[in-house]
Amino acid sequence: MMELEIELKKASDSLKSWDTTSISLTAGCDLFMRYVTRTSALEYEDFNSAKSRLIERAEKFGEISYKARRIIAMLSQDFIFDGCTILVHGFSRVVLEVLKTAAQNKKLFRVLCTEGRPDRTGLRLSNELAKLDVPVKLLIDSAVAYSMDEIDMVFVGADGVVESGGIINMMGTYQIALVAHSMNKPVYVAAESYKFARLYPLDQKDMAPALRPIDFGVPIPSKVEVETSARDYTPPQYLTLLFTDLGVLTPSVVSDELIQLYL
Amino acid sequence: MEPRRPSRAVIDPKVRQVGFITPNAPPQQPVRTQSYPPESNSPPLSESPASNSLSPVMIPPPRHLSDNLTAYRTPAVPVPESSRRRAEPAAVACSYDPSESLFGTSSPAPSPLASSRLVVDGEFSEESWFKKSDSAKFASSFPGGGFDLTTVKNVGVAAAVAAKKPAAVSGNEKSKASGAESKNELPSGSGSKTSKVKMTKSERRSLQESQRAAKGGNKSAGASSSRAAKQPQQKKDAAPAPPSVAASEKKGTDRPPEKERKKDVPAPRMQFDDKSRVEKAKKRAVVNQTEVRNRVELFRHLPQYEHGTQLPDLESKFFRNDPMHRAVYKVGLQYLAGDITGGNARCIAMLQAFSEAIRDYTTPAEKTLTRDLTAKIGSYVSFLIECRPLSISMGNAIRFLKNRIAKLPLTLSESEAKTSLCLDIDRFINEKIILADRVIVRHASTKIRDGDVLLTYGSSCVVEMLLSHALELGKKFHVVIVDSRPKLEGQSLLRRLVANGLNCTYTHLNAVSYIMHEVTRVFLGASSILSNGTVYSRVGTAAVAMVANAFSVPVLICCEAYKFHERVQLDSICFNELGDPQAVAKVSGRGDVNYLGSLGNKDNLQLLNLMYDATPSEYISMIVTDYGMIPPTSVPVIVREYCRDQLWI
Repeated sequence: MMELEIELKKASDSLKSWDTTSISLTAGCDLFMRYVTRTSALEYEDFNSAKSRLIERAEKFGEISYKARRIIAMLSQDFIFDGCTILVHGFSRVVLEVLKTAAQNKKLFRVLCTEGRPDRTGLRLSNELAKLDVPVKLLIDSAVAYSMDEIDMVFVGADGVVESGGIINMMGTYQIALVAHSMNKPVYVAAESYKFARLYPLDQKDMAPALRPIDFGVPIPSKVEVETSARDYTPPQYLTLLFTDLGVLTPSVVSDELIQLYL
Repeated sequence: MEPRRPSRAVIDPKVRQVGFITPNAPPQQPVRTQSYPPESNSPPLSESPASNSLSPVMIPPPRHLSDNLTAYRTPAVPVPESSRRRAEPAAVACSYDPSESLFGTSSPAPSPLASSRLVVDGEFSEESWFKKSDSAKFASSFPGGGFDLTTVKNVGVAAAVAAKKPAAVSGNEKSKASGAESKNELPSGSGSKTSKVKMTKSERRSLQESQRAAKGGNKSAGASSSRAAKQPQQKKDAAPAPPSVAASEKKGTDRPPEKERKKDVPAPRMQFDDKSRVEKAKKRAVVNQTEVRNRVELFRHLPQYEHGTQLPDLESKFFRNDPMHRAVYKVGLQYLAGDITGGNARCIAMLQAFSEAIRDYTTPAEKTLTRDLTAKIGSYVSFLIECRPLSISMGNAIRFLKNRIAKLPLTLSESEAKTSLCLDIDRFINEKIILADRVIVRHASTKIRDGDVLLTYGSSCVVEMLLSHALELGKKFHVVIVDSRPKLEGQSLLRRLVANGLNCTYTHLNAVSYIMHEVTRVFLGASSILSNGTVYSRVGTAAVAMVANAFSVPVLICCEAYKFHERVQLDSICFNELGDPQAVAKVSGRGDVNYLGSLGNKDNLQLLNLMYDATPSEYISMIVTDYGMIPPTSVPVIVREYCRDQLWI
């Protein structure tokens, strides 16, 4: 039994090491381990029954994660009203699911998409939305404050949700959240619950760095430094609500959930 | 409008003038200056009835227990009437008959406190929770018997209410009759404690008896516990259990309904502005202390004694083992003299003294170990409170100990029980304090990076351990120690850190905004953390945290989980500790700095030496506990999950 746990841990570690910067991967692995091993089945005499119990829980975990996106999409339908304008940043499949469901429910809304340099995520997202016949408008990243007046809400995904209730997401999210907060627009985050991580950054530099080279299209002189970080941290006071498969939560509930799960 | 009684020498605390006024000013007609907020559930005190010549900037007096439960109304003033009418439909909707239950137990005596205030809405909505049975009358919503203070206030409140509503006289008569019958059966211990209310003694007594009768008539423990459970919701400052438990044990009378209530809710703390209660407490006191004569009005509800008067008296009693065990005596003296300071140190010293006392304890004949030992511990606690008011960490430890004593299986022999208790105490100290500190240090040192400038305030043992540990880990950082008078605790911390080899800067509190722009992290200790995330710590901590917040510097609090408390506190006034005021006036080592020497006992100079203050949760970035790093909003989660029934798993 202990052997099995060790095997699981090894597998989880090797998976995590494949991409050390991915918070959702780490968080997902950790939560999976906790969920699976947090059962009294480990005390059963019969190894086979314990093993099948573990497998059962593992499959359940997979199902939950898979269904999570649909649950989140359902929960957020109430917040999208007819005639609203939504600002989206970064390519998140959860947010895409949310908008897809809203379109299928025949809601009338339009989407403003940030370009999302350097990944061009905005272009990908606007492609997908155009296929759904949702009116889409592309903005360059600097035009967010300019357009904030006509925006009703901001929707982002998350790479990871940290213990304070803040999120780690694609670079630019913090900026958008700050602008939205100062203009009293709600910021909604759509994230599955396996992304809850046991991190607690105090400021932007307090995280493990995740660097991504930026292609400017023109050669940069070697003396000039480039900020290549791909992520930033948005503190919880700028977020309004988190849509998760556990329900619609406020940022302070994240710690509650983590404590219940981990301790 | 009822005319106030002619001038009294003592200022009644319930109507006291708060703010910067000279005491003994002649009381004048009360003035209504404020209308009532329509929705408040916990009605704010609008003004003190004696607020006559006070400036509009006056601080309203702190709320007392009884204020929750009644509506005072002057018929002459139209505004309150309309709000009362507004409240009534709401009350009726709660299937609650205001007239019947409000005045059910009050005798129709005119109240001189007619002028007081209170929103009816709040009172009604609170009352509606209680109305479980028809005997759950207004006054009976209080644990009438045990807590003298509450009955006193009850009486006063009920009396005042009665004055306002002559319509409810019929209800009064009914209950008065029932009260009269049961008068003889009930203990009249608190009958004398009615000095605050201007009613005749017999009227008060009858009121109390009737309240007790109403309460006694309602036999269901459920109702009483639910009533009791409701109480903390009303009281703005729900008291920590140990001082109140100790206070009630001080009174000594056994009141069975209270014991079950005690399990549910901590009893109210003794408020020191009630003169008669203070007198009675003094009679039981082991330590003879004289109260300071010149006290700040705003803090009249906190005890303050003349510093240094108790020591000779106590020292002479040192070697008597009875009534106090010598170890407890020793610890008490050390508290009094200020030799032991700091939440952890005091708690550990107290627990070790108790451990020794338990080891030497023998059960007297005809008594059970659990009850007698609990009573003995209670008496030790009262003694320690007299030496120095308990810190919240000590309170939690005492609750734990009493819980363990109560849970001892009856089959154990005396020696087994004693060993088990001593083991429990050792385990508590080890797990909750010593190991917890190590875990905290391990977590918090991950937040220190090379090149950091860390700021700390005062002297916290956990922060000191953290800084030493980070140094051992080889991190390069600089420390700024902010200190403040009169205790100057930072100096001892500075000495130890410099001896360890850390680069330190030392400054006082007045320079904190000057130095804050260079600081990258602030690490603070705490005496306790309350359920709304408020940090209760050494006075000055709040200022440091607020300045740090203004400079966007993250503030980290290092606090063990056993110091968490389910109480909520909104300001630093309702619960605090007063130190020696003369320490503010004098500078140790500088005899020439004695500008206040001649002004020692002037009436218009009051010296205030607060020991603690409350830092709101919005200035705190993170709390590092032995359960990990949590945001301040998660403190009630920890209390809920891990401190259930004081089991401290």
